[in-house]
Amino acid sequence: MPDNSVNWAAKILAVTRKDLVSEFRTRYAVNAVVMFALVTLTVISMSLGMMVPSTELLAALFWIILFFAAMSGLAQVFIREEETGTAMILKLSSPGLTIFFGKLLFNLLLLTTLAILIVPLFIILFHSSPNNWAVFLTGLALGVAGLAGATTIIAAIVARASIKGALFTVLSFPVLAPLLIAVIEISKVGLAGGGFGDISAPLQLLVAYNVVMITVSMMLFDFVWRQ
Amino acid sequence: MWWKILLLPVMGAVIIAAFMTPSPMNPGSAVGATDVYRIFYFHVPQAWVASLAFIISMFFSIRYLKNHRMDDDLRAVTAARLGLIFCILATVTGSIFARMTWGEFWNWSEIREVSIFILLIIYGAYFALRSALPNPETRAALSAVMSILFAVSALFLIFILPRIYAVFSQHPSDSIVDKTGQITMGASVAIIFGLSLFSFTMLFLWMYGLSVRTARLAEKSLSGS
Repeated sequence: MPDNSVNWAAKILAVTRKDLVSEFRTRYAVNAVVMFALVTLTVISMSLGMMVPSTELLAALFWIILFFAAMSGLAQVFIREEETGTAMILKLSSPGLTIFFGKLLFNLLLLTTLAILIVPLFIILFHSSPNNWAVFLTGLALGVAGLAGATTIIAAIVARASIKGALFTVLSFPVLAPLLIAVIEISKVGLAGGGFGDISAPLQLLVAYNVVMITVSMMLFDFVWRQ
Repeated sequence: MWWKILLLPVMGAVIIAAFMTPSPMNPGSAVGATDVYRIFYFHVPQAWVASLAFIISMFFSIRYLKNHRMDDDLRAVTAARLGLIFCILATVTGSIFARMTWGEFWNWSEIREVSIFILLIIYGAYFALRSALPNPETRAALSAVMSILFAVSALFLIFILPRIYAVFSQHPSDSIVDKTGQITMGASVAIIFGLSLFSFTMLFLWMYGLSVRTARLAEKSLSGS
């Protein structure tokens, strides 16, 4: 049914566009994420001084900054709906899965913006750039996709809770732990200048993780959304 | 009822035997740390019970999402609560063992320590979520969804990560089974370990049954008054 799938894509994009428009008006999530990333980058860079850390440490620091910056903004997509009281209208107007993918797409755009901003700053402040850009960017792209994919449903869960900000990080970390272990390994190889042969194992893990997490989230999303 | 009475002499015998019989270590291992290997009789069953509780909690979480009976949620949270206790015990005993044999309480390159710590974090996060959701139906559904997400992550950590990713592990697995899967422990060790595993499991099931019953009564008195 090509007609139906076009309809679905249009609905998903409509949800994303709606979020983008309200984000452009308030700039709440972007401001939170970017400022958080800037502050942590500055704190770490200042405390390191002129010291050039090892690639292991650099990879770990990079993902710590990205993880916590992402945590400060990714939950907004659903919290915003709860706070403005528009969740009910959204429930009535669109099927659950289109909302899930619409929000997922918005979070993906948010994280991509963050990554585009953070990588040049990282290179400038830490005086070192990846020796193998292809490996580094592959890890970054898959890591960002996995971060958005695994946390979108958690954002929907947290939006219903009474303490939102801290809870989102607490719930996301155990779910993201396998992803973080794999992406730190890939970034390390990318910074040090190794090839794709050195990252085949974490790359497989990362792809499998992304596919499984998004599939499971799709299956479970209605239970969260209809509550 | 009879097996509950049986549990006392069996567990008593396990405790005495664990300390009176020769240490279960294989002779090739670290010198001077022989006695600390006795912790194996208690540490492994604790880790097993923590995992079993996690699986039971998961099972009832999935069943709650299927038929929305509050009793399934009650069973899931009760299993998780007991699982947390055994998980803490397993983490502490494992950490003591690590300190005595490898010189440090914690080592992140040891994948078993990573996985049990993540399990501990999962239990903590699960209860943090529950306490933040006041409405019982919402709490039951959302924590059930969350526990399935945790389980997927745990599967990656426990089964996939150590196999496809070269992780360094000093965990003494060759005192029970060697690299080819052959059982290497002696007959007396196997008997004590088997009895310990059995009695820890039984103790857990007993505690679980009691906790479920008291939780049901608490629920009933709350809704009745």
